[in-house]
Amino acid sequence: MTDARKPQGKKLSELELIERAKQGDAEAFESLYNLHKRRVYSLCLRMTANTAAAEDLTQEAFLQLFRKIGTFRGESAFSTWLHRMAVNVVLMQLRKKGLPVVPLDDTVETEEEIPKKELGGPDRNLAGSIDRLQLQRAVDDLPPGYRSIFVLHDVEGYEHNEIAEIVGCSVGNSKSQLHKARLKLRELLKTSRAEKARKP
Amino acid sequence: MNCEEFELALPDVDDDPTIEQQSHLNSCRACSELVADLDAISQQAKLLGSSDEPSPRVWNFIEIALRQEGLIREQQKLEPFLVPRQPPRRRLEWLIPVAAMVLLMLGIVQYKRVSSPVASRTPDASTSQIADAANIADDQQLLEVVSRRTPTMRASYEANLRDVNSYIRDAEESVKIDPNDEQARRDLMNAYEQRSMVYEMALDRSLP
Repeated sequence: MTDARKPQGKKLSELELIERAKQGDAEAFESLYNLHKRRVYSLCLRMTANTAAAEDLTQEAFLQLFRKIGTFRGESAFSTWLHRMAVNVVLMQLRKKGLPVVPLDDTVETEEEIPKKELGGPDRNLAGSIDRLQLQRAVDDLPPGYRSIFVLHDVEGYEHNEIAEIVGCSVGNSKSQLHKARLKLRELLKTSRAEKARKP
Repeated sequence: MNCEEFELALPDVDDDPTIEQQSHLNSCRACSELVADLDAISQQAKLLGSSDEPSPRVWNFIEIALRQEGLIREQQKLEPFLVPRQPPRRRLEWLIPVAAMVLLMLGIVQYKRVSSPVASRTPDASTSQIADAANIADDQQLLEVVSRRTPTMRASYEANLRDVNSYIRDAEESVKIDPNDEQARRDLMNAYEQRSMVYEMALDRSLP
């Protein structure tokens, strides 16, 4: 049970808030927004790497949700419903802009797109030295196709079969793109660390 | 199993590597470091989940849209929750309908003036300046009220007013260019309504 669903003192449970929102209660809408805004906004921000676009998409995701709240029957978790809606809003926007949501199975990648494996050599171990901001910047630098899969799987916790369904690719493709995204991130993080080390 | 074979199988290696893969990992420093790095990236990624907060402007726009679409309904006599209600604000309550009405009337007057073919041919600069000055004064007064009651929301309302005023200016320009443009006239009315709604929201509710 998430915090949102626990009745706490005067606080209403999420289901009670949903019922009030269905009746048009402004504070219930606002409370639902406050409960979920960070997660939805962070998802939008990670997927687009753009603050203004992330705010627009957050707004759009919540509006779509609130317009349909009357149809929510509680069979699934509200957060799952909202989250899936946010993902769809973001993916639709990426598609509209012509950005790849996921590279196709048979996409031929160029030399620089394939992360180098860099086996051996000095200064190769990253474990224990990655901080959140560094990783955030590296994720922002990922090509959009890799970024979507990485964010959905490693940040948002979707399984490969769910990602395959959401973005319309095979499970194998999702696994392969996730692996390439992680390799690319490793490369970006190492480059950033090397640049930092060179600075006086 | 060699490094190449291990790397090919790596996308499918989840939490449980096979005995053969594990044996390779135990004997190969490069591959074990690669796996450790990828695991570290994956673990650290979980912290990015809810790390950012949208600006208050996002909720303000959502609320305006919900009110415009009639999804938020007034006069909901529900029990207070989450935040104890503020004591009654009797002194200011009468201002809400008055402000909304005045704004709407001003909007309609402005709308008629702008969309009139005569006005479009000979724009009355002094009337327009007086209306603009009155709007600026109204906005300032509203922002002062917001500052007193919910200081944290001042910047957000300031941004909303700036946006809606710019929307009004653009819509007025479009109507001036072609007073018969139905879409432009609708946009202008919509812009005035939005401005009126921002006022209503600011005076009606105690925002966090």
